[in-house]
Amino acid sequence: MLSFILRRLGSGLLLLVVISALAYLLLSLPGTDVGRHVLGPAAPQQAVDAHNAELGLDRPVAVRYLDWLTSALQGDLGRSWFTSEDVSRALANRLPVTVSLMVGVTLVTAVVSFVLGVWAGVRRGAVDRVVQTVGVLGYALPGFLVTLVLVLVFAVRLGWFPAIGYTPLSQSPGGWLATVTLPVLSLSVAGIAGVSQQVRSSVIEVMGRDYVRTLRSRGLPASRVVFRHVLRSAATPGLTVLGMQFVGLLGGAVIVEQIFGLPGIGAMTVQYTTRGDIPVIMGVVMVTVVGVILTNLLVDVLVGWLNPKARVS
Amino acid sequence: MQTKTRINTGVAAAGALALMLTGCAGSSADTDSSSLTIGTMTVPQSLDPAEAMGSAMPYFQAVYDTLVKREPDGGYAPMLATGWTYDESLTELTLTLREDVTFDDGTPFDAEAVKANLERFRDGGGGQAQTMALLEEVEVVDATTAVLHLEQPNPAMVFYLSDAAGLMANPAAFDGDSLTTDPDGTGPYELDSGRTAVGTTWVYTRADGYWGEELPYDEVAINLFDNENAIVNGVRTGQINAALLQDVDQQAVAESDPEVQTQPQAIDYQGIILFDRDGHITPELAEPGVRQAINHAVDRETMLEQLRNGQGETTNQIFGPQTDAYDPELDSYYDHDPERARELLADAGYPDGFALTLPRMSEIVSDPLATSLQSDLADVGIDLTWDNLDSGSALNSIFTEQAYPGMVMNNAQPAEDWVTTVELVLPGTFNFFGTTDETVQELTRAIQTSPEGEAADQARELNRHLVEQGWFVPFYRMTFLHVSDGTVDVEPQSGMAVPALYNYAPAE
Repeated sequence: MLSFILRRLGSGLLLLVVISALAYLLLSLPGTDVGRHVLGPAAPQQAVDAHNAELGLDRPVAVRYLDWLTSALQGDLGRSWFTSEDVSRALANRLPVTVSLMVGVTLVTAVVSFVLGVWAGVRRGAVDRVVQTVGVLGYALPGFLVTLVLVLVFAVRLGWFPAIGYTPLSQSPGGWLATVTLPVLSLSVAGIAGVSQQVRSSVIEVMGRDYVRTLRSRGLPASRVVFRHVLRSAATPGLTVLGMQFVGLLGGAVIVEQIFGLPGIGAMTVQYTTRGDIPVIMGVVMVTVVGVILTNLLVDVLVGWLNPKARVS
Repeated sequence: MQTKTRINTGVAAAGALALMLTGCAGSSADTDSSSLTIGTMTVPQSLDPAEAMGSAMPYFQAVYDTLVKREPDGGYAPMLATGWTYDESLTELTLTLREDVTFDDGTPFDAEAVKANLERFRDGGGGQAQTMALLEEVEVVDATTAVLHLEQPNPAMVFYLSDAAGLMANPAAFDGDSLTTDPDGTGPYELDSGRTAVGTTWVYTRADGYWGEELPYDEVAINLFDNENAIVNGVRTGQINAALLQDVDQQAVAESDPEVQTQPQAIDYQGIILFDRDGHITPELAEPGVRQAINHAVDRETMLEQLRNGQGETTNQIFGPQTDAYDPELDSYYDHDPERARELLADAGYPDGFALTLPRMSEIVSDPLATSLQSDLADVGIDLTWDNLDSGSALNSIFTEQAYPGMVMNNAQPAEDWVTTVELVLPGTFNFFGTTDETVQELTRAIQTSPEGEAADQARELNRHLVEQGWFVPFYRMTFLHVSDGTVDVEPQSGMAVPALYNYAPAE
């Protein structure tokens, strides 16, 4: 297992360098005049050219990338070209917001999905039909609509939760819970719909296998059969989907962070990409890639732990 | 019985959780009468005055004072400068300075500081550095007297000294780039670096021993958002005390909530700026008749009604109502008259119309606006094509490559008409082909060399000339909405969308 983890980390590092080079190249394609963007349309061209030179944009892309890489390897991700904020500090401020959402959504999705999926797969009948209907509804409802309704009802009308903003966990656990609850709920709906269906199908499939029938015929309690044997096999597809959803949550977080005014990585990505703020975008790209690599690794390890056959393969 | 008990327990737990969360709700931005939270979509490039922009002034006004204070009505009042006088040639502006002001480290605010700041601003390459382009040098007469020597008269110099150029920082902090995130001024507040997350929220706390009149709040937070939906929700729940709304849909939401206090202000105008009045890209635009035809073709009333729910005032002029140049008659100089537009095109030698290509940035030109303009112009024979540009490349194509004959823009209408003249009429960024004529030259020279307030007739004449010649195609002044949660009174700033930080006070 250790060599497997080390191999995955090694290939992840290589991936990180390749993606950083590609991202830098794509972001540096001609067309965006950063100096003009920073100084505004009213600034004279001379000032714009001088500002571009000050940012080093008059040098070849390869030289700029190597400079950035050298600094990044020393822990210096530079400063935003548009707000002068230190990129590392900006990421450190914003990452907990998005991570809170992603972890919260993943936990809520995992718990609810596995409960619903197992319940539907084992009980079948009316329960199964209800769970399937809920799943279809969850898929059909547009995420932004769910978010807007949650804000309007529970924040603006009832005042149970704040409509905007984020309170760090370290500042106030209750405040943190209040600020992430609605965003987490709104992001979890689609995830629960997908993962619960996956778990349900797997449970039904595993429940029909010979070894499960044998276990049941020996008189083992149903709960033991389900939780000790069925779930161990049936969890793999659900976990894989959950892992993929965790990575994909960044996309959903963009909209949710905007609606809730949360200062996270998702909203940051949109704001800074449209401006062409390379130091910040590169920081976001690096954080995202590291997150994807670590998530995939974690899922692989979990699946291997649950299912020895997967470990061998 | 057991089931009922479980249900009751669940309800109680849910209630307790809700109570706990409700108690915590808004803890990140809870406000009281001694704190002010402003929601905005404007972000400063940094907190270094050399990089300041007028639209981001509240961020700077918290920590820096300007030489001259601009009052809400657009008038000027003493601040760090207690007086200012021009010589007869209008090329020497003498400033008398306060003598009781020091920076945090004990460095005195004096004429040397004024010289260091203004010359740094001029040479610093910031977005508004060109406003000091006519400043030759600052002469230090004594500690409390500085003379600004100008290459030519600049009727907007006092305006600029009340704006970004007038922000005074500690010269001792000019080495390095510490001012970008660690401001050092003489202002009423200090930046609370520990609670500030640049790019998200800026928190200012009252500065001890401020030399001037204290502002009413002990603490000011400016929170940055990228959409007005979040801002409106924040105001409705009291997490944001005050904000400015530009989007008509969000304005409608705010107005529908009885708890939200609203105050409309017609401010920026939207319209086409025609760069190519000499016909370099689109030869037809060199003809005044063609430009007039475009003005007649646009159905401003319908656009205002359909695109902005009627929130605004149609206009044909670029100067705002607060300026000397403003002439109310010019708001309706061009009526919607497609027939007259076709006649003008025929008289100009284009009876079959012509093709016009304009850049389109979706942030400014919405789908309905694009369609509406296309339809209006097509009605008189002008085939308008939109080039869809992303915001990253648009400014480059328009201003650096100068690839288009005009563009639709939202423009401010400053209270000082010379600011508009410099930005839009004289050769420069928005007149990059340098179009001019004898009348424009004569009138601008007269305005530039006249003492303050003595060139109002020429300013109005210039305005009328520009409208008659169809230099621009303004559509309407847009009504923006100042909103508050009811705890704050906001006094709008004449000629500016963003109120000065001095204009906020607890509601009476």
